[in-house]
Amino acid sequence: MLLLLLRHRLNFMMNIRCFQRSFSAASLAPLQLPSPMETHLWYILPNEVKNASLLNQYLEILSPCEKENVFRMRGDQLQRRALLARALVRTTIARYQTNSQVEPRSLKFKKNIYGKPEVEWQDVDGSHLPPLHFNISHTSSIIACGVTVNSAIGIDVEEKQRKLKNNILAFARRYFSPYEVGLLTAISDPEFQRQEFIKLWTLKEAYVKALGRGFSAAPFKTFTIRFRTATQGHLSERRDSKAFDVVVDSFDDPKNLTSNWQFALLELAGSHYAAICIEGDRTTEGNGTRPMKLTVRRTIPFVEDECVSGTDAVVAIVGLT
Amino acid sequence: MASVTGTSISMASFKASLAPSSRISNVKSVSFPISGKSFTTLRMQPARFRISCAAKPETVTKVCEIVKKQLALPDDSAVTGESKFAALGADSLDTVEIVMGLEEEFGISVEEDSAQSIATVQDAADLIENLIEKKGA
Repeated sequence: MLLLLLRHRLNFMMNIRCFQRSFSAASLAPLQLPSPMETHLWYILPNEVKNASLLNQYLEILSPCEKENVFRMRGDQLQRRALLARALVRTTIARYQTNSQVEPRSLKFKKNIYGKPEVEWQDVDGSHLPPLHFNISHTSSIIACGVTVNSAIGIDVEEKQRKLKNNILAFARRYFSPYEVGLLTAISDPEFQRQEFIKLWTLKEAYVKALGRGFSAAPFKTFTIRFRTATQGHLSERRDSKAFDVVVDSFDDPKNLTSNWQFALLELAGSHYAAICIEGDRTTEGNGTRPMKLTVRRTIPFVEDECVSGTDAVVAIVGLT
Repeated sequence: MASVTGTSISMASFKASLAPSSRISNVKSVSFPISGKSFTTLRMQPARFRISCAAKPETVTKVCEIVKKQLALPDDSAVTGESKFAALGADSLDTVEIVMGLEEEFGISVEEDSAQSIATVQDAADLIENLIEKKGA
């Protein structure tokens, strides 16, 4: 018990910049915008949210179109998931206020020409509106939303235990790049291979979602995700050779020379791998070599928010401090 | 002269009887002439409008099987041509696995941009038959 208390104290002291647990019933605690090159990650654990009146509150803030989409989902679980996903997006974005208080339900969304969802800011009073970017991802047991200012963002979450129906290498040969197939083939332990596969998948998904041009604009085979380790250039099966960052090599996208994609990979809530990709600062040398500044919060909108950075809920794998 | 006894007519059966050899896909809502009055509403998604030959029922059934297996749905769950992958709970990894399963089952190869436009079981079945036909040509 003493050790637990001690650990809590350490975590608290390590995270002075983190907001403390705040309970604000029926309201959302407003927040500072993330600074440029900083990412905020919010997540809901759907199994924690079953209260009917709370779910109704969430339903209230959705647009008619979103409500339709929720009810089109097959079964209670899927409907709840869809509802929580939209509620998370709306409540999260509504928190980041500049001048005026924005109601979650009054936010408008649109899709870019490739279908990527974006906020459609209503220019109130001609004030300069924050170029807030977001991206969501969910599984049956987590719903996550990443937020940045000024950078495109893509995120993907997958359950750590997820098993493919297909054979991993057959799948990789069909969809991944030769380098990645080689990396996976070199792993003899099936469980380790499966884990590395899931990590690669989430990173690739996060990249494509950050690009925002649709799956077909950047087919998975046309780019390689590479872990850079201390022993450069060696394909290593040793689990103790720690990667210090992740880079992407794109075969047929010349724009990649001007873009600078930064990646982070972490274990989230003990149960998931989460990958985040943001468009880096173009003035930096190299390919996103600085660790990503990330703040992670678990939330139940209108009920509670908890900053979990520095706790067991966030275990950095690569790309984070 | 057809006589309509019930007030509701199942969309799927009506579409099949209307035009067996051609159909407008991705139609969201259509009013069919019942008492001789003309079409009232016809709503389509322009970007995905295409007229295609409807896939054979066997193909649709096979796709349903593969989808149910991938998503671990019970055998008796209602999956039909109109079922949307997303509404059944398929995420992007599921969809890609489904496409791979379809490629193996039917001996075809699906391009990324075609895969991206698959939203329903029917879309997948139509695409499959399209590809099979091109292969044979």
